[in-house]
Amino acid sequence: MSDRRTSILVLDDEPIVCKRLRPFFSKAGYEVETFGSADEALARVRERAFDVVITDLKMQDMDGLAFLTKVKEIHPDTGVIVITGFATLETARESFRQGVFDFVAKPFKLADILDSVRRVEKEKGLGA
Amino acid sequence: MSPFTGLKNALAAWRARKHQVPFTVLFKKFKSILERNNLVLELMADMGDKLGGEYVFDQQYILDSCDRLLDQVFKLVSDLAVLRQRKNVDLFLAGERIQHQIREELAGRRAPGRTGPILPLAGLANDLGDECGNKMANLGDIRNILGMPTPEGFVITTGAYLAAVERGALRQRISQALSGLRLGDEAGLREVSARLRQEILGLALPRVLARAIAAAARDLAERAGPLLAVRSSAWDEDTLSSFAGMYETRLGVRPEGPGGVVDAYREVLASLFSEDALRYRLYRGLEGDEPAMAVGVVGLVDARASGALYTYAPLHDHDQAMVVSAAWGLGKPVVDGTAETDTIVLHRNPPHAVLSREICPKPQRMVADPAGGVLLEDTPPELRDAPCLTPAQLSELAEAALTLERFFRRPLDVEWAYDHDGKLVILQARPLRITPRDPQACADPSLAAKDARVLLSGSGAAAMGGVAAGPVYKARPGADLDDFPYGAILVAAHSSPRYAKVMPRCRGIITDVGSATGHMATIARELRVPTLVGVDGAFRTLRPGQEITLDADRKVVYAGALAELCRSDLAKEDVFEESREYRLLKRVLKRITPLTLVDPNSPDFTPARCATCHDIARYVHQKAVEELITLSATHLERHEGAPRRLSSSLPLGLTLIDVDRGLADTATGEEVRQEDLRCVPLLAIMEGLARAGMWEIDPARVDLKSFMSSMTRTFGADQAHPERMGRNLAVVSREYLNLHLRLGYHFTVVDAYIGDSLNDNAIFFRFMGGVTELVRRSRRAVLIAAVLERFDFRVQVKGDMVTGRAKKHPSAAMLDKLRMLGGLIGYTRQLDARLDDDASVQRHLDEFLSTFSAPKEAAP
Repeated sequence: MSDRRTSILVLDDEPIVCKRLRPFFSKAGYEVETFGSADEALARVRERAFDVVITDLKMQDMDGLAFLTKVKEIHPDTGVIVITGFATLETARESFRQGVFDFVAKPFKLADILDSVRRVEKEKGLGA
Repeated sequence: MSPFTGLKNALAAWRARKHQVPFTVLFKKFKSILERNNLVLELMADMGDKLGGEYVFDQQYILDSCDRLLDQVFKLVSDLAVLRQRKNVDLFLAGERIQHQIREELAGRRAPGRTGPILPLAGLANDLGDECGNKMANLGDIRNILGMPTPEGFVITTGAYLAAVERGALRQRISQALSGLRLGDEAGLREVSARLRQEILGLALPRVLARAIAAAARDLAERAGPLLAVRSSAWDEDTLSSFAGMYETRLGVRPEGPGGVVDAYREVLASLFSEDALRYRLYRGLEGDEPAMAVGVVGLVDARASGALYTYAPLHDHDQAMVVSAAWGLGKPVVDGTAETDTIVLHRNPPHAVLSREICPKPQRMVADPAGGVLLEDTPPELRDAPCLTPAQLSELAEAALTLERFFRRPLDVEWAYDHDGKLVILQARPLRITPRDPQACADPSLAAKDARVLLSGSGAAAMGGVAAGPVYKARPGADLDDFPYGAILVAAHSSPRYAKVMPRCRGIITDVGSATGHMATIARELRVPTLVGVDGAFRTLRPGQEITLDADRKVVYAGALAELCRSDLAKEDVFEESREYRLLKRVLKRITPLTLVDPNSPDFTPARCATCHDIARYVHQKAVEELITLSATHLERHEGAPRRLSSSLPLGLTLIDVDRGLADTATGEEVRQEDLRCVPLLAIMEGLARAGMWEIDPARVDLKSFMSSMTRTFGADQAHPERMGRNLAVVSREYLNLHLRLGYHFTVVDAYIGDSLNDNAIFFRFMGGVTELVRRSRRAVLIAAVLERFDFRVQVKGDMVTGRAKKHPSAAMLDKLRMLGGLIGYTRQLDARLDDDASVQRHLDEFLSTFSAPKEAAP
């Protein structure tokens, strides 16, 4: 049990995903930051650690896999959840190799992504 | 492969083999049509679900779903071509047309629906934002859904504008001129603005349009008085990109003649390209969207006093305040900020206590000039220093504004007027963008409920999301609800559509039992009342009069009124319903899901009348069933698949096609007795149909008549041997049943497989009603859905179509379900005339379940 709120970073180049997840997680009591660009997200990850990172895998002009690999390099403890519309078996295998905690297929229910975050918290002993 | 190539190949294939296609091949095609038809319905339902707010989806999802759907639709069309060995050119063209419309929407080119150029305000129903612009569509909702007084009037649609600028290629010139604009290039902007405005002002309107406008205006002036108001209602206006005050409004316009409504119409259209509007367009990043303007023409309210109301006061220190500005006469000077006004700050919570009041001297007022236009005149001395509104009017206004706020789920800027009879009229409501004074206060909505006591949490389904606070009102069964207080939260043991009557006055609804797909839920969504159904113990736990806060999104009920939580809900940066993706999905779904082809007996049941993907699927399904009956009847050789007529004590008129061991070997000839049936699913259904009380009930007289008339109407002229062949079809094998039943106007499909392998066991049931009045139809849908849910079916209700699916239950349980379906088919046959009121739904449900008891473990 700790008073500290679980922090979440969301990266998706579809603005609608960030727009919906930010107020949702914020309302559910999380500390949330959202990014539409991998460079900005990565810059932020270099500044501070997040408990959970939620990222799309395949985005226009950027590679979610490369991003999450970097995140795990910098903060191995971060729980990474991948949200993607085009998961192939190959990318799934590769991202689990990179230490991805969970996959959520797009489109997803808000309740599903919240469940997934809660599983990360449970595994890492976070949250109230 | 494009759908078109697919069709061509398919056509080539059948041409080569005409008259030689074995029945089994055609039957396979028929099966594939059924599967595809189900897939199309599933895809449509899946897309519809995404509008519910529970899902996060992106543009890619919309594109992919449309691709998959259109692919299936074209394959359906080509499957039918193979089955009927006919080209289906009309149907293919209908598919092309719908595909084109969907692609246009996806490409950002909005194609307003094919309405006439003029729509009366009284007839504006949901979702006409594309046709009427948001401002008038909102006004239509205020009048027609919320039932609040608005001016009389009509809308000249965006379609009328687009048709007008289409002439002389003006639409193209506009698009070119706008694409050259850059933010910061003021000279260019001025030049483009002047040029386009000139073009519009000089535009020769299509003669039919000018005549229609003049006639509608004359008619309106007769009803609403000789002077009218002509108001802009452009695309994107009054959304969060408000364009407030940038478009033209003309007041005191005469219906005809120079300076009349037609001239005012052109002036309002021209303001679409005012410098301010063009600059704002660039600033908001709307340069890629084609502008279009609808125009509202309404009666000018002869106002004694008018003004504006902000449901959240952005400037005031009090955090639960709304502010009213009021002046004598017409409200334009108030909105423009050019007049002295009374300013009253009210509490947002009932009874809306006055927090502060500033009554100014108002030396002048704006009134309509009987000669046309408006003028400023001196205020009569006795009014000059008097308040414009009485305390009763203030509280009436506050209640109305908060009802609007709840409906639009946004703080609002409401324009209002009181006429000389003291009647309140709502002129307009637009979203108000509020930025919290203290950014910290709203930064973390979770803190808003942190210290609150949770009364109920975790159970229930949100029929409509949102947050609401107010006192509890507990609805006793059978109570007439006349004492329901404004602003309360309704708590009931069961959901019921009769609560619709208090919904405009209630802030939220909580029920112990109820379905998010039920009738009440539908109405709650329409009126946007936050509603949580199926909440365990709500009725027992909550006390009358107790102040609570309902958070339907998170399925929590808190003790006390949590103002912070309510405000954070209203101040949400992005309302899902306003997002680009939501609006795009909603627009493409308009081309996909509505079913306009309802009655196969109607002369309009033609390919050319197919307006949506759903229509095409429906048409193909109907024709495929008819074709299979005809085909099997006329097919050359007698073979196993030859159709037989089932002779049984039940008047089903059933034609059987046995594809594999569905009949006893001993069964020969054209007639088959019930004892010869070996098809396990069909036997179960027959058993259910025959079960005591289900079929023997005399149909109500009215229904018997419609039953008989439908008997005679159902035979299409192209059916081979109507007198010999039954009108209903069952394709059977030992384990499989595909049943198409038309009884009365009801149309039922059962597709079932019950075999040795649990995993293959499946039942699909679909019920569609016919031409009964809407209320009875939806009562019937509610009843059928309730029965299916009791029996563990996955149920979807779309209008009057109910589908249920059950899979992978043990065979014994599946057969129980089929017996129940047999009973349900028999039962609903005589039901319509009996569903006189909502209470009868529950009565019939009980009656039915007393004969077919639901499995014990199915209780929710």
